[in-house]
Amino acid sequence: MKIQLTNQGDIHVLDLFGELDYHSSPELREKLTELTMKQTPKILVNLGGVDYMDSSGIATFVEAFQKAKRYQGRLILAALTATVRGVFEIAKLDSIFEITPTVAEAAKCLSAKT
Amino acid sequence: MEKRFELTASSEVLSPFRKELRQILNRAGWEKKTTEEILLAVDEALTNIIRHAYQGRPGKMMVSVLASDDRIEIVLEDQGKKFDPTQVPSPELPRHRPGGLGIHFIRTIMDQMIYDDQNLTGNRLHLIKHKAKI
Repeated sequence: MKIQLTNQGDIHVLDLFGELDYHSSPELREKLTELTMKQTPKILVNLGGVDYMDSSGIATFVEAFQKAKRYQGRLILAALTATVRGVFEIAKLDSIFEITPTVAEAAKCLSAKT
Repeated sequence: MEKRFELTASSEVLSPFRKELRQILNRAGWEKKTTEEILLAVDEALTNIIRHAYQGRPGKMMVSVLASDDRIEIVLEDQGKKFDPTQVPSPELPRHRPGGLGIHFIRTIMDQMIYDDQNLTGNRLHLIKHKAKI
């Protein structure tokens, strides 16, 4: 798994590439924990480059989402591949998370509301 | 077709094993979506062996893949602590706390999950999926 962290104005963007499983999810958890510890208000996770995800990946996002909610931060997941979206659907979490089809739409959502 | 794998109980083996299993499923004519789902179910079962049966300690995981025209059976064996995933209750969904979804994924994806409680040492789990009839 490769993780790139960039800033788009006040939005922190995490671009993920590769497979997100029990082996690679601790690295992502560490990055998301850094952001939520700093109470980063706007986090955008670009999953367009992730072609596989298991329950460890889901757990990592649930944890970060809950932490962000506690300080009124927002975490949006964008550009899910069909495989990754399928995993959210099996977990019935697709309606809990804020999910957008593209990164541009996620950025627009985060810019529109504060 | 039958193929047997001996894996080290470590998270590093998961990705290379998925590649091997994906090839077997492709050759056996499974459609892409179902292939990815079966990979997820088997991956979750292997992760449970690493986490619950061996609890991070070194060990071996034996995986037998039996593929025929109309079904696939994957048998996972280990010599770790007894862990019967069929006894784990189904979670209430959606879960608002992290964790507890792996066995739900296996149950949802596979047609059968059978734990062999006659196995004296370690664990043996059968995961079976039938091809949908067109």
